Amino acid sequence: MKNGRPVNSLVVDEDNLIPGNPTYESITESVAGIPEQKQTPKAWWALFLTAVSLAGLFFAEIGYLFYEGTGIWGLQIPVAWGFAIVNFVFWVGIGHAGTLISAILFLLRQRWRTSINRFAEAMTIFAVICALMFPTIHVGRVWFIYWTMPIPNQMDMWPNFRSGLVWDAFAVGTYFLCSLLFWYVGLVPDLATLRDRATGKIRKMLYGLFSLGWRGSNRQWRHYELAYLVLAGISTPLVLSVHSIVSTDFATSLVPGWHTTIFPPYFVAGAIFSGFAMVMTLSIIARSVYKLEHIITMKVLERMNIIMLVTGTMVGYAYGMEFFIAWYSGNQYEQFTFINRAFGPYAWAYWIMISCNVIAPQLFWSKKLRTTIPVMFVASIVINIGMWFERFVITMSLSRDFLPSSWDYYSPTIHDIALLVGSFGLFFSLFLLFLRFLPMVAMSEVKAILPQADPHHHTEQIHG
Amino acid sequence: MSPIKKGHTLTGKQYWRSLDELAGTPEFEDWLHREFPQGASEWNNAWSRRSFLTLMGASLALAGLSGCRRPEEHIVPYVKKPEDMVPGNPLKYATAIPMGLHACGLLVESHEGRPTKIEGNLKHPANRGRTDARIQASVLDLYDPDRSTVPSRGGVRSDWTAFVSFWREQFVAFQATGGEGLAVLSETFSSPTMMRLRRAFEARFPNARWVAWDPISDENRYEAIRAVLGRVHQPVFHYDRAKVVLSLESDFLLTEPEAVTATLGFTSGRRIESEKDQMNRLYVVESLYTLTGANADHRLRINSSDVGAFALAVAGELQRQGLAIEGLNGLTVPTMTGRAAEWLAPLAKDLLRARGESLIVAGSGQPAAVHALVMAINGALGNLDRTITYVDNRDAAYPSTSGLTKLTADMAAGKVSALVMIGGNPVYNAPADLNFAAALSKVATSVHLSSRVDETSAATVWHIPRSHYLEMWGDARSLDGTLSVIQPLIEPLYQSVSEVELTALLASGESARGYDLVRETWAGLVTGNFEVGWQTALLNGILSDSALPSIPVNAAQVGIAQAMASHGWSLRPTATTNLEVVFHPCYTTGDGTRANNGWLHELPDPITKLSWDNVATFSPKTARELGVQNEDIVSIQLQGRELSIAAWIVPGQMDNAVGLSFGYGREKAGRVGNGVGVDTYRLRDSQNMYRAGSATVSNTGRRYELATTQDHGSMEGRPIILMASLDEYRENPDFITGASVIPEFMAESEKAKERDLVREYPSSWKEPDYSTGYQWGMSIDLTTCTGCQACTVACQAENNIPIVGKEQVRKGREMHWIRVDRYFTGDVEDPGMEHQPMPCQHCENAPCEQVCPVAATVHDTEGLNVMVYNRCIGTRYCSNNCPYKVRRFNFFNYTDEYPETIKMVQNPEVTVRSRGVMEKCTYCVQRINRGKQVAKLENRSIRDGEVTPACAQACPAEAIVFGNINDSESRVARVKRINRTYSLLGELNTQPRTTYLASIRNPNPEMKA
Repeated sequence: MKNGRPVNSLVVDEDNLIPGNPTYESITESVAGIPEQKQTPKAWWALFLTAVSLAGLFFAEIGYLFYEGTGIWGLQIPVAWGFAIVNFVFWVGIGHAGTLISAILFLLRQRWRTSINRFAEAMTIFAVICALMFPTIHVGRVWFIYWTMPIPNQMDMWPNFRSGLVWDAFAVGTYFLCSLLFWYVGLVPDLATLRDRATGKIRKMLYGLFSLGWRGSNRQWRHYELAYLVLAGISTPLVLSVHSIVSTDFATSLVPGWHTTIFPPYFVAGAIFSGFAMVMTLSIIARSVYKLEHIITMKVLERMNIIMLVTGTMVGYAYGMEFFIAWYSGNQYEQFTFINRAFGPYAWAYWIMISCNVIAPQLFWSKKLRTTIPVMFVASIVINIGMWFERFVITMSLSRDFLPSSWDYYSPTIHDIALLVGSFGLFFSLFLLFLRFLPMVAMSEVKAILPQADPHHHTEQIHG
Repeated sequence: MSPIKKGHTLTGKQYWRSLDELAGTPEFEDWLHREFPQGASEWNNAWSRRSFLTLMGASLALAGLSGCRRPEEHIVPYVKKPEDMVPGNPLKYATAIPMGLHACGLLVESHEGRPTKIEGNLKHPANRGRTDARIQASVLDLYDPDRSTVPSRGGVRSDWTAFVSFWREQFVAFQATGGEGLAVLSETFSSPTMMRLRRAFEARFPNARWVAWDPISDENRYEAIRAVLGRVHQPVFHYDRAKVVLSLESDFLLTEPEAVTATLGFTSGRRIESEKDQMNRLYVVESLYTLTGANADHRLRINSSDVGAFALAVAGELQRQGLAIEGLNGLTVPTMTGRAAEWLAPLAKDLLRARGESLIVAGSGQPAAVHALVMAINGALGNLDRTITYVDNRDAAYPSTSGLTKLTADMAAGKVSALVMIGGNPVYNAPADLNFAAALSKVATSVHLSSRVDETSAATVWHIPRSHYLEMWGDARSLDGTLSVIQPLIEPLYQSVSEVELTALLASGESARGYDLVRETWAGLVTGNFEVGWQTALLNGILSDSALPSIPVNAAQVGIAQAMASHGWSLRPTATTNLEVVFHPCYTTGDGTRANNGWLHELPDPITKLSWDNVATFSPKTARELGVQNEDIVSIQLQGRELSIAAWIVPGQMDNAVGLSFGYGREKAGRVGNGVGVDTYRLRDSQNMYRAGSATVSNTGRRYELATTQDHGSMEGRPIILMASLDEYRENPDFITGASVIPEFMAESEKAKERDLVREYPSSWKEPDYSTGYQWGMSIDLTTCTGCQACTVACQAENNIPIVGKEQVRKGREMHWIRVDRYFTGDVEDPGMEHQPMPCQHCENAPCEQVCPVAATVHDTEGLNVMVYNRCIGTRYCSNNCPYKVRRFNFFNYTDEYPETIKMVQNPEVTVRSRGVMEKCTYCVQRINRGKQVAKLENRSIRDGEVTPACAQACPAEAIVFGNINDSESRVARVKRINRTYSLLGELNTQPRTTYLASIRNPNPEMKA
């Protein structure tokens, strides 16, 4: 306690989070002005058409997949999981940054999060949508996918609760619902702002419908903040649990390279790592396209880079620890798997992973580099490539397990690649729609961290 | 790369480190680790659903057939239920499969009148209930959609009646000249009815000629016998009586027609219950790596042309050690060098020790002189009448290449006006220098009896569809003379006739029914009441006491000397510019007649593990010197003929040798077989039937994709196949203990001394009680298993396992429920080879079950890991988590587009799986359940041996034993108590119900390894 005000050591550099001394109005103008643009920017159309075509490819591929069967992919025995599972883990991981920013950083009073939390959350929702597609379509008989859910039936037949996959379905489903609610609740005040500013009838109606009659009364604000806090509380464990459970898809098996206890923390760190990289990629684009440099400031970007440096190093530590444990266990199946990762037929993938995930983030030790936009932009993309390869490398442990007689080499087909590319199309289509029609920055929250939102702050300074 | 280093020394020699020490060599990288360039291949996989469906349909389809028909002689309207016929209950009929001069007795399962599954007839002495992959797959040929349906004349549809009237005209005309210009070319056979009709034909047409010929045969052996004994007798090898066997390039365990009989006999001498038992010993001298070589205790690679010299050197050494061998005078014993020289003294000593209980057998590719020499050595060793007997089979038509050569010359000269070919396909497989097709075009009237319009039928005037052996009446003798009736299980599906019926027409000018013809013959064979004897023979599948008596032989010294004098016994050096081509029959397609059988095409070769293709094989060293890698297309030049074919490296093959298998590259086999592989007959001439020197090979620079089912041939130092020599086993009967690569299970660990270590870990769960009721288990003896893969095809036939085609196999999606793994051990240039059948292990603590999200694979109370197809949604996690990788996934709807008639081949007791579900070995649960039903009706429990899965039933080595492990007196329980029993990957605590008996070899301690 200092002069009656709680001092939170985690609160760093509180002042000047939003430089340029903006007013409430200027914030509203610059954020709400974007969905209100009369003329959709040409760049938006160009990006959207590209993304939507790829999304079209994605659904066309799914149609073909349903028609022909999973044989159109490169899967075989022993590698019965391929791109679909890799993509699933990749997309789920992407989502984690959104939840971390919106929930954990919220609870930790990291006020710098406000400028990026909205679209980090949107990214979460869209990434989880992409993620959910893959485990659904990768099964052989997709029309029975609901059997993984505990639906009461006349046969008294339940899912196998010992299977990681069942918990995976629960975890990711829960995660999707919570993230969606959290995002939507946060959107309500801003939707009301848009409603109030709307001119067209349809806009008025739709924003009116989704702003749930928000009037900004004190009572509503109190309920809102409580609900937000509760949802943040619910979401916080999810950040840790979802990817932990996803990791048990691998860790509860016998497969050398999968059968390891380090997976839950390692997966969570990797998820946050990749999620932040994706937020970084998106925010760099959004802030330059929509001229939001004054809201999504360099300080915010720098902090995200620091988080990437930390989580990237944690991931690197996990890579090293896997090798150590394999050696230390004396179990030669494990030892083989790890040496095979680095020097076997998939060594190329392994070294892509190491270069992208461990070496690339080390650039951020340098203050200059971590505040240079082109560097962080390239690095964020490189990190996401690396994190995709991390999941690929892990999954490919299957190619060489216990009996050398069944060892084989998995190669993706054109359909595997089309689905991966198409999932990015789906993701960016949704994301571009979000940018076009919803406030991409949480206006009400940004306003709350402006100096004028905190009159005591001023007083405190006077009284020293 | 050598990923697993010797951090933990296993128990010395008892457990071989296999190729581990070689794992670091670049050669190893080149041909063992991965056959594809790293990370580069397989992206251009043009997959076509249509192509494999066509394939599937072609293998199984039966176009234009409606309903199923029983033989006419037995047909009964169903308003009156036939005796024993209960719809849903299969019946088994005894019959026999003719295999040239040999025959095996069968019991064929028939569901409502359609044969679906072949099993051996226990009462038949040749195969005692056992079969091989070729026999198992023969049922598919019956339903081959590319069989011809009606006779044709000049390519125009005709019918049998038209042919009969046509032949009557010919018959009358030829009768006038005594058959001048008339010739019959048949396959070899050993059948009283055929021989009776042939004699009738020859009596009717004294000027006509009858030539029997097979593209791959033991002709050289018969020639030697003719030279030595004065006339051809059928040798019968008794491997079961032999303590020491020396094979001079004889692949008696696989490609020889009598392989089942030989395997039964040979493995009976290797089956040991404890370290105190005796084992026989097998020496193999060969150029290519054969399955017999893979099972040898000592294997010597040598030029095929030097095998004779080696045999003579052995004879010389035997003489030096005091054995008198007749007929050797005048021959210069060649001086062997290297390993061959080291072999001589201990080998000769071993043979002498086992006098009268040894057996030397030369391969069909060896010239007659070598066979004569082998006869002389066998005679001197006192093996005649003991391990080899001779029978005088008057019902056999022996092969004659000289007959074929003369016939072809006469045809070309226009001296043959009518040629009737009963079976065979000489246009495709006659030696290239005979130019049979051109000669055939000079023959005015040509008739070909064939199952399809093949290469030969396309060039003849008349094509007559040939009946499959499951739809015809006939008879056959096995090598020892045992007589069987070939009894049809179904009326001919098409307008086809059997060779018996055609021959009867040729001989008499009258069309007769096979049934009557066979009965007429048998009237002279059955003693006592004919009807009773006939019915008994039909029921038993054999005519009792019909084996021919062994005749005392007296080797004529002059004959031996003469036979051997013409041969050059000196060693013939080879080089990369002077390669030796060695031809061998393909196990699956044989001489090419089985080339339209999808089961066999998909069955990987036991040595190369390649399916759907034939290749030119090279040793690693030769391949290096020639600059050839796997999948390179090489051009082989041999005596002015050229052949382009994909290369494959087989470690252990003789250097400077090229192995080529017959039976591929068919143009008119049908949808499945057309264009599969390369026709190697084009390189073969009548002087060099099985090997030819002076070949050159060049790399064309082109590549050809091959489909292998096993990319990796090293055990990586893992305890997968546990091995020991008999002496090591005797020294340390518990040698399997501690064979692990996980420290706490290793030999030096204190805990590992407990045999049942995994059970010491208390389970956190309430484990199921497996101590009551039936508890099914299996034991596979790796000592006797030869790796022939009869189990794989038997399983495929029993369990409706689809074939998937070359592209899918190449991707790694073959569906075999029981595969046979092949590993190389030892030296990289000259390795040993081990085989391991791999069905579902039915783990009590099954990793697959825990990970299935929908509980589609679960355990039953009898210890079976059952797969519930209806519940499976296809996450494939079970396969990922299976350490044995025995689960197979339906990546496509491999079965959906079956035409209606395809269902005829399917076993109605086994679910046909659809797309998107996992499948795997069930221990033939349908047989278990049928056994339980039968037992329950009789108010008893299942007797030991009453339920046998298809794999165990077929296994000619009797290596697979199945039964109730809860019954301590059952055979499987007794076998599992043998101290060589181990659980594969047991340290994973999977507790498999399938266990293995470690592989024991019996090398000669006096011979260097």
